[in-house]
Amino acid sequence: MKLEVLNLKKNFGNKEVLKDINFTFSSGKIYGLLGRNGAGKTTFFNCLNDDIKPDEGKFNMVENDRKRTLTIDDIGYVLSTPTVPEFLTAREFLKFFLEINEGKITDEKSIDEYFDFMKIAKEDRDKLLKDYSHGMKNKMQMLINIIANPNILLLDEPLTSLDVIVAEEMKELLRSIKKDHIIIFSTHIMDLALSLCDEIVILKGGSLSLVDGNLKGEERKNKIIELLKEVE
Amino acid sequence: MIRSFILSFRLRNAYKVNTIIYALKSIPGIRKLLKDKLYKSKVLKIIGNIISILLEIINIFLGKLLYIFLMIFSIMTIYQTNSANTFLHIFVCLTIIGAFMNTYMFNPTKDKYYAMFIMRMDAKTYSLSNYFYAILKVIIGFLPFTIIFGKLSQVNIWICLLLPIFVAATKITVTAYHLSLYNKKGIVINENNLSKHLWILVILFLLIAYGLPALKIVIPSFILISLMLIMIIISIFAIKYILNFQNYREMYKQVLTNTNMNALNTNEVTKATVLNQITIDQEIKSKKKGFAYFNDLFVRRHSKLLLKSAKRVTFISAIIIGIVLLIITVNTELKGEVNRVILTYLPYFVFIMYLINRGEAVTRAMFMNSDHSMLTYAFYRKPTSILKLFKERLKSIILINLLPATIIGIGLVLILFVSGGSENPLNYLILFISIIAMSIFFSVHHLVIYYLLQPYNIDSETKNTTYTIVNILTYVVCYYMIDLRLPTLYFGLATIIFAITYSLISLFLVYKFAPKTFKIRI
Repeated sequence: MKLEVLNLKKNFGNKEVLKDINFTFSSGKIYGLLGRNGAGKTTFFNCLNDDIKPDEGKFNMVENDRKRTLTIDDIGYVLSTPTVPEFLTAREFLKFFLEINEGKITDEKSIDEYFDFMKIAKEDRDKLLKDYSHGMKNKMQMLINIIANPNILLLDEPLTSLDVIVAEEMKELLRSIKKDHIIIFSTHIMDLALSLCDEIVILKGGSLSLVDGNLKGEERKNKIIELLKEVE
Repeated sequence: MIRSFILSFRLRNAYKVNTIIYALKSIPGIRKLLKDKLYKSKVLKIIGNIISILLEIINIFLGKLLYIFLMIFSIMTIYQTNSANTFLHIFVCLTIIGAFMNTYMFNPTKDKYYAMFIMRMDAKTYSLSNYFYAILKVIIGFLPFTIIFGKLSQVNIWICLLLPIFVAATKITVTAYHLSLYNKKGIVINENNLSKHLWILVILFLLIAYGLPALKIVIPSFILISLMLIMIIISIFAIKYILNFQNYREMYKQVLTNTNMNALNTNEVTKATVLNQITIDQEIKSKKKGFAYFNDLFVRRHSKLLLKSAKRVTFISAIIIGIVLLIITVNTELKGEVNRVILTYLPYFVFIMYLINRGEAVTRAMFMNSDHSMLTYAFYRKPTSILKLFKERLKSIILINLLPATIIGIGLVLILFVSGGSENPLNYLILFISIIAMSIFFSVHHLVIYYLLQPYNIDSETKNTTYTIVNILTYVVCYYMIDLRLPTLYFGLATIIFAITYSLISLFLVYKFAPKTFKIRI
């Protein structure tokens, strides 16, 4: 499974944020998307997620040599600030989600099995999401996206404010699902990107470039810094 | 000190000017003409500065004019007491309240935070220069209006001249007292968060200000004038205390730290308020399924905002209707007048129905406590999902608003009947149905413009000027209706036809466009 980004362009006024991006992402890999502040990472995600309309460009999904246009069903977008309906309990949210997706979820489990899978404690399952901690809300957000099983997972700094244990759980989870998904992970923390991601992609000057995968350790790190520092 | 004042004035002015340019840029049509680099444009800065200075002048005078006219002059005419004495009586009482509620010194604002803690300006010189500028504005702002309204109330001219100084002196004295409280007991005052004791004091002085003249009692002039003179003398010592106070930085650190600086942003305040409207009662359950389940729980867990508010309006409406019915039963002379009002004042009810409809507050809560999060999920943004939830929400909002509307409708029909009735029986029917139609219209209107113009961004800020303009226009049109006098039969019929047509067209627009427009604004 592949995601093709073709001739993607997006300007805000006179500012060219994304300039003719051509790139292919493949399943089985976690892509670390790095870029300086204001480089356009969120704009790139917003274009993919149909939140903003690109000026030009196309997104194609390629599965078994068949090409089709990307739809919003293909995307799961996990934001750094967790987004959950605060007036529901975790159980109610999951119940609602499972009900409206009845018949569409493969290998559907019971609500408690999902909670067990996500390591959400029994005593927290019937609490209002309003009273959940940041990390717990993040887990719920991730859980919904995993059950929805979209082909592509966009993660915008999702581990930044999680405690060490939850962050490790999330990393493990991402590694375990990457086989059947295209995962694009935006972050500013280079060590996190290097430890979790299979490929590092730099967004700079409105273009995407892949960091040479043959480079390892310090050499790779230095190359990334060099690329990020380069004058546009 | 003057340099510090000029610096802080410039700082405050800079973000006022930028706010003006930003507001200009938000107007549709102008947005494309004004580029971001125009924030640097000297011409635009000069225009912005002129607007900012004009606003400052308006702020100095207009507020005081409205204050004296609305709070004192227009009210004192209803009392049957000596006008000069009543003017002074109310003025002095309100001044004492104002000295606690509007201190300037203890108002935690963002410009104070920026100047003292971000720009690291000297806290004492910054505080004093800006404080005395604020006091000067009080004196200059009050002077013309204490003279005009004082003379109109036959107050001696010398006392008219003394009044602004008395206001300043009271504020200074109360400020010095609060500073001394901080010095001696470490008590930090925040004028936006008054203690219970101060609220009692405020209520007490309000009762003295407006309650005593109603009983034909006013404090004698010589006592009021003596009080003013004493206050002015005390303020001389108070000024000395304020000038010698050394702990401004330390005190403001506490005032500004206790205030969440983010919460000074009205948007953050709204967000927090809306979030607090969720009822933490896990016993609230729903037996429905899917989107009906989701919406049902939303409505039940926001009962403070939705159901309780509608019930309160229904209850108050029922009481008012009951009182009117009682009055016209007891005093039969009024029947004719009331009957005439019911048969010609229906346009007035457009404004009333607009006011009691909770549409805008409800859609804001929908966004902040639900859609803000849910619109990031693909399953929620599917056209079928958007329309299913829209349908559920529309049903709920219409039903909730119908509760008070039905009572008002029945009440008006009853009043019409008891006050002498109408020869044309259609009047009864049209009166009732038009009130119901107005209620449905406003329910549909608020939800439809929310779905078609979804105005909020991820930070829950309103980013759609068209939405704001539509809301203002709605208000203006409804307000204009107050002055219309039309026969109930014709106006009622027109209202019903308009409400049905508008609802049908707007529902068609929602079904056609909402799947594209109902998304988080970037």
